[in-house]
Amino acid sequence: MADRVRSARVIRLRPRASVLLVVTSMVGVVAFCWPLLLHGTSSTDLAHSGDAPWIFLAVLPLLLAVVLSELAEGSLDAKAIALLGILAACGAALRVPSPGVAGFEPVFFLLIPAGRVLGRGFGFVLGALTIVVSALITGGVGPWLPFQMFGAAWMGFGAGCLPPAKGKAELGLLAAYAAVAGILYGTLLNLWFWPFGAGTTTSFSFVPGAGFAHNLHSFVFFDLTTSLGFDIPRALTNALLVLVLGRPVLNALRRASRRAAFDVPVIHEPATDPAIDPATDPATDPATGPATGPVGAGTP
Amino acid sequence: MIRFSDVSFTYDGAERPTLVHVDLTVGEGELCVVVGPTGSGKTTLLRAVNGLVPHFTGGRLSGGVTVDGRSTREFPPRELADVVGMVGQNPAASFVTDTVEDELAYTMENLGLAPDVMRRRVEDVLDLLGLHELRDRPLATLSGGQQQRVAIGAVLTASPRVLVLDEPTSALDPAAAEEVLASLTRLVHDLGLTVLLAEHRLERVLPFADSVVLVPGDGSPLVVGPAVEVMADSPVAPPLVDLGRLAGWDPLPLSVRDARRMAGPLRARLDGDRPAAAVPPRGDLAASLTSVSVAYGEVTALDAVDLGFRTGEIVAVMGRNGSGKSTLLSQLAGVRPPSSGRVVVGGTDPVTLAPRELVSRVGLVPQDAGVLLYGESVGEECASADHDTGLEPGTTAAMLERVLPGLPSDRHPRDLSEGQRLALALAVVLAPAPPLLLLDEPTRGLDYPGKARLVRLLAELAGAGHAVVMATHDVELVAQVATRAVVLADGEVVADGPARDVVCHSPVFAPQVAKVLAPDLWLTVDEVRTALLGEPVRG
Repeated sequence: MADRVRSARVIRLRPRASVLLVVTSMVGVVAFCWPLLLHGTSSTDLAHSGDAPWIFLAVLPLLLAVVLSELAEGSLDAKAIALLGILAACGAALRVPSPGVAGFEPVFFLLIPAGRVLGRGFGFVLGALTIVVSALITGGVGPWLPFQMFGAAWMGFGAGCLPPAKGKAELGLLAAYAAVAGILYGTLLNLWFWPFGAGTTTSFSFVPGAGFAHNLHSFVFFDLTTSLGFDIPRALTNALLVLVLGRPVLNALRRASRRAAFDVPVIHEPATDPAIDPATDPATDPATGPATGPVGAGTP
Repeated sequence: MIRFSDVSFTYDGAERPTLVHVDLTVGEGELCVVVGPTGSGKTTLLRAVNGLVPHFTGGRLSGGVTVDGRSTREFPPRELADVVGMVGQNPAASFVTDTVEDELAYTMENLGLAPDVMRRRVEDVLDLLGLHELRDRPLATLSGGQQQRVAIGAVLTASPRVLVLDEPTSALDPAAAEEVLASLTRLVHDLGLTVLLAEHRLERVLPFADSVVLVPGDGSPLVVGPAVEVMADSPVAPPLVDLGRLAGWDPLPLSVRDARRMAGPLRARLDGDRPAAAVPPRGDLAASLTSVSVAYGEVTALDAVDLGFRTGEIVAVMGRNGSGKSTLLSQLAGVRPPSSGRVVVGGTDPVTLAPRELVSRVGLVPQDAGVLLYGESVGEECASADHDTGLEPGTTAAMLERVLPGLPSDRHPRDLSEGQRLALALAVVLAPAPPLLLLDEPTRGLDYPGKARLVRLLAELAGAGHAVVMATHDVELVAQVATRAVVLADGEVVADGPARDVVCHSPVFAPQVAKVLAPDLWLTVDEVRTALLGEPVRG
C-alpha cells in the first residue's frame, strides 16, 4: 500500500507557509547559536550581548505564533485539529512523570512516529504544541519554553522528512533518528542555557567576544561535562521505545490517518453519470430508467 | 425535509460507485427505515444526509442533497449540526465527557448557546428520554440501552429537525434495543421529528415505519415507498412478512395484531396438520452441571443448577438480563470455579485445563466479540488463530469464508461492523472445532442473510456431533434452530424442554409465527410452507 511508506500530508506546507517556516527557523538557529556566532570586535556588539537572549525571547514566541497560524490557515480541518489535540495531550501526559528521572523523556517517542506518519507540517505543529501543553500542565513555563518549542518542532518536522522505508528498516531508521534527534535537542538547549548556566569564571564559560573557536571549545566541554550523561541515556531510551513500541504506534496512527482520509479530495459535481456508462447499463440511465423504485417512488 | 436528487457517490480509489442515481424524498415527521444487507451502502446514504459524505470521507459526489432547504454542498457538517443529529452503532464511541448531564450539554457548548438555554434544554431532554434518574451517573456505569439513549439525547439538545440513526441497536441486547426503539417512536409521534433509521431488527420497527428505503447493494436502484409496498418483495423481511407473502395476505400485515386478524383462514387450512415433531437428539453427554451455584459477592447468579448437554443438541438459554445466562456459559467455559457444585466438560473439570487444551474442547464467543480480536487485520487475525491452536494455516480463513464470505482480509478488525466482527470471532472460535460451542447473544448486529448463514452453520455443527449452547434473546433464532430451550430466572432453571413446547407456551418468548398461529405450535415460516405445499423446503 502506498501509505505504508509515504506520510500523509495532514497539514500542507504551501509556499507562503514554507517561506515563513524557513525564515523563522533561521531566526531560531541564530537564537540558539548566537553565543558561538558573535564576533566581538566592536565594542557595541559586546555592549548588547547581554540583551540578546531577551530579544530572542521576545521575538521567538511571536514568530512561532505567526508560523503556526499560517500553517493552520485554511488547511487545518476538524479532523486534523482533533488528531493534533489528542496527540498533544498524550505527549503532554507522557511528559508529566518524566522530568529528572534518569533521562527518561518519552515525549519524543510519540512525536517521531506522528511526524513520520502524518507529515512534516503536522510534526512541526505537534512538537511546538506538545511542549506548550505539557508546560501548562507541569507549570514549566519559563524563558526556556520557546527554545524547547523550537527544538521539539524541528524534531517533529525532521521525522516527517525521513526517507521512505518499510518494516524493520523503518523502525531502525526511526530509532536511529530518535537517538540522534534526542542528543541534538539536548545539545541545542544547552547552547541556549550555556551563557547563563556556566557562570562567567569557569574554564568552560561563555566569553563574549572570545571568537568562535574558543567559545565552541568551551561549549563542547560544557556540554560533555554537564549534560551528556543525561542526554545519552535519554537518546537510548527513546530509541529503545521506538524499537519496542514503534510498530503498534505507527499502525495505530496509520489506521487513524487512513480512516480520516486526510489526502482524499472532496469533489462535488452536478448530477452526471458516475463510473457506469449509461450506454452499457440501461438500468441506471436517467433517461430510460428512473433510479427510484417501481412503486411509490419518492414519497412526498 | 430530506431530498436526494440524482445523487451518485464514489469513494476515492473505489472501482464502483457506492450510491448510483439516488432519488429520495423524506417528508417532515416521517419515520423512514433504511434496510439492506451489510455493506450495501446504507451507512454511506445516511452519512450523506449531514454532509459527512463527502466532506469527511472525501470522494466524488454528484447530484445534490438538501436538508431543510440547506444543501450539503454549501453547508459543511458543522453548519448542519442544528438541523441533523446523527447517532451511530456504538454509543460509547461517541461520548466525550464522563457524566450524563455533561454529555447532554456538550453539543450545545459547541454550538455556543447561552447557559440558561442549555440548562432548559438539558432538562427537557432528560424528561423526553426518561433519563432524569440517571443525570449524575458516570456514562461508563450505564447499560447499553441507557448509553444509546444518552447518545440520542446528546444530539437532541441541539434541537435538530432530523435524526439520522445508523443501526442504533446493533451493539445492544434485545431488551435494550426495544428500549431505544420505543424512545424513538415516541420522539416521532410527540415531536414530529423526521427520522431516518437503518435497522436490522425489522420486526420491531416496521409497525411504526411510514416508509422504507431498500438498498439492494448489488448496484440495482433503490426501492422507496410505503412500508407495505416495499416489503411485498423485499429480499430482507421479518418472519411476519414472509408468512404474509406465503399466505397471500393483502395488504401485507406489519404487526402481529394485523396478521392475527387476517390469519383465520390460514389457521383453518392448517387445521389437522401438525409440524413434524423433531426427534430429540440422544447423543452422549458433552457437558454437565451438578447443583452448581455461583455467587458474585452478595448476588447469587446461579442457584443449584442441574443441567446436562448432549452432542447434537442446540440448546437455547433464555431469560431476562441478569438471570444468569452469561454466568452459565462462563461456567461451562471454565472461566472461574463455581462457588459450589461440579462442572464437567468432556469428562474433566474445565477450570483445570491448560488454555490450549481448553480451546480445543470448549469454544466461547462472548457478547462483545471484539474482545477476542487483537490483530492488525482480518488476515492476520486468522493466521494467528491458526498458529495459536496449532491448526493447518488457512483453516480459520476457510471457516470465515463459510460464516461470512467476502470479508476483505486487509481490513482492521476495529473497522468492521458489529455483524462482521461477530463473524470473525465465530470463525476464530469455530476453527479448532470444539465439541462444545458456547455463544452469547450470537445474532447481535447480524442482518437476515447473516442470521440465515448462522442458522445453517449451527445446524451443520450439531449434525456433525457438536453440542451448542447459546444464550440469546432472539426468539426467531431459537425458533429456527434450537432443539431444546432452557429458561433461567434469578439463577434458577424455571423451564427446560423441547424448544417448541417451551417457546410457544410463553407470551414473552414466542416467535412471530407462533403468535399469529396460536394455539397451534408452529414456529417458523418454513414449517408452514412445508405443510401447505407438502414439500420440504428447508435444507
